[in-house]
Amino acid sequence: MKDLLYKEFKLAMHPTCFIFLLMAFMLLIPNYPYYVAFFYQTLGIFFIFVGGQANNDVYFTTLLPVPKRDTVKARFGVIVIMELAQIVVSIPFAILRNSLNPLENQAGMEANIALFGLVFMMYAIFNMVFLPIFYKTAFNIGLPYVIACGAMAIFVGAAEASIQLIPALKTTLDTLNPNYLPQQLAVLLFGILVFSFMTTLAYLKSAALFEKIDL
Amino acid sequence: MENKREILSVKDLNKSYDAFNLKNVSLTLQAGSIMGFIGRNGAGKSTTLKSMVNLVHSDSGSVQFFGMDIKTHESEIKQRISFAFGGVDYYLQKKLGTITSVYKRFYDQWDEKAYEDYLKRFELNPNKKVKELSQGMRVKYGLALALSHHAEILILDEPTSGLDPVSRDEILNIFADVVDSKQASILFSTHITSDLDKCADEITYIKNGEILVSEEKDAFVDSYRLVEGSMDQFTEAIKSIIIGCHERRGEFSGLIRSKNCEIAKGIKCSPADLESIMVHIERRA
Repeated sequence: MKDLLYKEFKLAMHPTCFIFLLMAFMLLIPNYPYYVAFFYQTLGIFFIFVGGQANNDVYFTTLLPVPKRDTVKARFGVIVIMELAQIVVSIPFAILRNSLNPLENQAGMEANIALFGLVFMMYAIFNMVFLPIFYKTAFNIGLPYVIACGAMAIFVGAAEASIQLIPALKTTLDTLNPNYLPQQLAVLLFGILVFSFMTTLAYLKSAALFEKIDL
Repeated sequence: MENKREILSVKDLNKSYDAFNLKNVSLTLQAGSIMGFIGRNGAGKSTTLKSMVNLVHSDSGSVQFFGMDIKTHESEIKQRISFAFGGVDYYLQKKLGTITSVYKRFYDQWDEKAYEDYLKRFELNPNKKVKELSQGMRVKYGLALALSHHAEILILDEPTSGLDPVSRDEILNIFADVVDSKQASILFSTHITSDLDKCADEITYIKNGEILVSEEKDAFVDSYRLVEGSMDQFTEAIKSIIIGCHERRGEFSGLIRSKNCEIAKGIKCSPADLESIMVHIERRA
């Protein structure tokens, strides 16, 4: 697995993934839908697959003396690493934003702990939708990505609408008030659980699909 | 050819697609030999080769390398073989050195000294990008990678297609050297019959997804004769044995099995070559 991860970073990695980490600075914008800063990383991941297709990665990798499902696992490894990196890099920007500008974000959720929980859920949906659909063919990339973006947009829209329209959620989640830390930590924890569970499920499904297809 | 150990055995491979079927494909490769896998475009060469390494999942049948089944010992087998589509056609923007630095980590038997020697011998510059290599050089780079992990069987899908005659000759000479020095056995597909004239020990001929023949090249070539004559010699008996008959201006020409030479007595018979055998057999359809 170590060697496959090495291969992913040395050959398959797309430079935009690292560039998009810098999109974390968008959390400094006073009024902004902060999910967008995290969305960019899914675009970086999409580019890994585009690059893979242009470079015949699937043949290079599947002809190596490793089980096919391990090649899927390594790709999942890179994706999870980049998603977590995006979240980690964003934390100091969120802290900075809130200390520089304590005014409310007029365009959606505050850059708070609950937001990070929701971002974990957004990434979980991306992984669950994009990857298994891709591994059905190991070739089509565009449509799975469009569907995954649609699913993420529906989730973000629904989450944002509920938080803005339901006063109990608005008070507890869309705030920087430390009194609501337990509620926000609960959202974060739930997000991490959903992310872990759905990504594992997506891997099992993707690996099973990939093992079945003819290349 | 002194060592007749069977190192690859394909038995009754079947695979059906909507418009194409592989039917009971069987062949065996002996250690120390070069097998040419011929057939026209679309005959099933690539599908057969891909099935051997599990890129394509056969519906039934078995593939065994060194006595191990590919379905249960895939990684172990892949340590000891190499499969390539023509030349290296992945990661075109990367330098050879970068690709090698990744590739070698996967092989237990990687031999850095051998790799350096092959780079020198094939005049490959590790600082060049794959896209900067000619097609012939890409085939050589693929061979350098395969031979540096001491692959015992090289399976190559159309390694000579698209090469100029000089490069093709060079690659075929390398094949002969590799096999003669007992480094590896080779199974390669091609539709260029002169490749096989030059270096193949055995021939497997596939047509419409079925193996027509899999045997020693010389015996195969010797089992056919070309015949030609005037139409008044074109009797019912000849008609019944001729393959791929062509009639023009009162003359006929075609192919017959050598064992039928008696029937064609009195008609001009000449030795056939692989190209004429293939052309006539395909024309029969």
